[in-house]
Amino acid sequence: MIDALISFVNENLGVLFVIAIFPGLAFILGFVIFAVWYQRKYLARLMIRMGPVHCGGRMGWLQLIADAMKLVAKELIFPRAANKTLFLFASVVLPVIPAAMIALIPFAPGLIIYDAAGVSLLVFFAISTLFPVVSVIRGWAANNKFTIIGAFRNIYLDIAGEIPVFLASVGVMIWAGTYDLNEIVLKQASMWFIVPQFLGFIVFFIGFLAMIEKVPFDIPTAETELIYGPNTEYSGAMFLNMMEADYINLLAWTLLMITLYFGGYNGPPIFADPVLNGVFWILLKLIIAITIIFTITISYARLRIDQAVKMGWNYLLPLSILNILLTLAMKFYLGGV
Amino acid sequence: MTTPIKRYSPFGEIEEVGEGLFRLNVGPQHPISGQGRFIVLTDGERVFDIEVDIGYSHRGIEKILEYKTFVQGIVPVERMVMLDTSNILMGYVGAIEKVMDIEPPPRANYIRTIIMEMNRIVSHLYALGLLSESAAWNPAVFLWTTADREPFLDLLEMLTGARWSYSFFVPGGVRADIPRGFIERLKATLDWFEKRIEVYEEAWIYNELFRMRTEGMGVVSRQNAIEWGLAGPNLRASGVPYDTRKNEPYAAYGELDFKIVTHTAGDSYARGWARVEEMKVSIDIIRQAIDNMPDGPVRVRMPPRPKPGEALFRVETGRGEMNVYIVSDGKEKPYRIKISPASFRNFYTIEMLPKTQEILLADVPVLIYSFDPWFLDADR
Repeated sequence: MIDALISFVNENLGVLFVIAIFPGLAFILGFVIFAVWYQRKYLARLMIRMGPVHCGGRMGWLQLIADAMKLVAKELIFPRAANKTLFLFASVVLPVIPAAMIALIPFAPGLIIYDAAGVSLLVFFAISTLFPVVSVIRGWAANNKFTIIGAFRNIYLDIAGEIPVFLASVGVMIWAGTYDLNEIVLKQASMWFIVPQFLGFIVFFIGFLAMIEKVPFDIPTAETELIYGPNTEYSGAMFLNMMEADYINLLAWTLLMITLYFGGYNGPPIFADPVLNGVFWILLKLIIAITIIFTITISYARLRIDQAVKMGWNYLLPLSILNILLTLAMKFYLGGV
Repeated sequence: MTTPIKRYSPFGEIEEVGEGLFRLNVGPQHPISGQGRFIVLTDGERVFDIEVDIGYSHRGIEKILEYKTFVQGIVPVERMVMLDTSNILMGYVGAIEKVMDIEPPPRANYIRTIIMEMNRIVSHLYALGLLSESAAWNPAVFLWTTADREPFLDLLEMLTGARWSYSFFVPGGVRADIPRGFIERLKATLDWFEKRIEVYEEAWIYNELFRMRTEGMGVVSRQNAIEWGLAGPNLRASGVPYDTRKNEPYAAYGELDFKIVTHTAGDSYARGWARVEEMKVSIDIIRQAIDNMPDGPVRVRMPPRPKPGEALFRVETGRGEMNVYIVSDGKEKPYRIKISPASFRNFYTIEMLPKTQEILLADVPVLIYSFDPWFLDADR
């Protein structure tokens, strides 16, 4: 039995490494810890304060481990009127959905968890539609007024944001002539798609902020109105799962943005160096991207739900359709890549 | 089967507003509620009624004051608004001076004016920080304003010995004269603070998303503002040029030249902006008070007990006009003190607004904090 297991591990060492270490489970959890720490320290600087300093020296790097241990050690509290099965189910399943989306992202030539046979971009969007469904389940199961309001806001926002995002990436699909994320990265070796798809990128970025539910689109979890939106009733390790789901969602969509518009694991085209192509560049781009996102989160006020939905349907949707038409015209006259 | 939900109309009649509504308890344990509760009647997004439930921090200050001598009463009175203690205290001390028939020396009046205007800046900074924080969970502006209060608090500590609750005004003047080096530091701080206000305006007051959230929201018309008894910067943001400092001058305000900030829009944005402009006016008042300050004593002797009688004193606190009414029966303790604070009237306007216009659930925190509510003040 053990011999069979050892031989199985030896035979599939590469696959197991990709799933469990990088870019799989360990990387995703490590990113969550890093992102929360980085957000705290970086935003603290912008707010004229220090951030965590007590745990792990001046940089406070142990603070997140301490917080996670505290949350795991706490009692799991189920509201008396809640549907306990669904309540627990949602908290377990929600972080898995964005993690499954990350499986489709290429991190280096050949370094990809699941190669979806040439349609990985479509699979990415297919999986992402599960997120609001589980979100509604968590809001409904908690049987609380704040959670149910937050859950319905989540549906409104996701529909208003996801359709423009999808249509903007249709522009990339047409320009690149493929549904495959790896192919899209390879076609950006000479020029990143942000240049020919600039209008599409603007639409994508605004919709993207709605998808990751950060300010100015943190409408479902609006803290000043709904406490913590659909997550209000969660405690202990379930709350930790919800936090993780938020940050894994951020990671998945940021990686998609980098892959579609900023050359994925390619270095900048002028310095195209085969040694450096790969993991280094995608991680560097990831850090720059989350720095910009965190800066946006403290620079703006939150939109109201009606303003956000109006922005999605009245401005982003027509612009994304215009972008598709422009891309078709450019492809017809210039010949694409 | 749902039962129809009812609310009181602005005219006190019971009216039905719809079916399938529910009440949200915003507070007392909610990120925005403070020490009170707002019961919001909503269908999920639209808000039909807000009930303000005050009284969670009622301490019976008026009754406490009946058991204290006039000077002992200074300490409990200050606890009404810790941010704005000297303005609150001015009302109490001014009423005592009126009932005892004593006049503070002119230098004391100027020192009082400087302290009160510094306190007004501190109070408005806090209100602006909370307004930004309610429009989004955006603690950046809140922490900026909190950090920028510190130089003023340091100056007040240099002058009075405490960062909060100075107990510096006493019937007949102030406790001490200005220390050496204070005026120079104050002038430097005011120059620096003028630049900080410009930073606020650029980063936040003119911010497009902040304007989207606050403009045209929670409009109080001029007529309604007068009828509902709105007070302070909120009243002036609705276009009513009423400021007790101007209309019924006390301390040194009668001898200084300053303008009343008014806006005509009457929405949440105007209320926030009025506070920014009032801070500029406060800087102006402090500079004039420094330049015109006379020499002389800062305190006159107070008689041990007043003659029987009564007195009413109005004062413009950071949140609006406060009235203090004292009845004395000739003993060393007051017979009765009635304090009518500004926040109580501002809360009434919060209750009335959803009945006159359509607001959404997301507007509720912005609406509440645009009035700069203070439960401890309203509860007393």
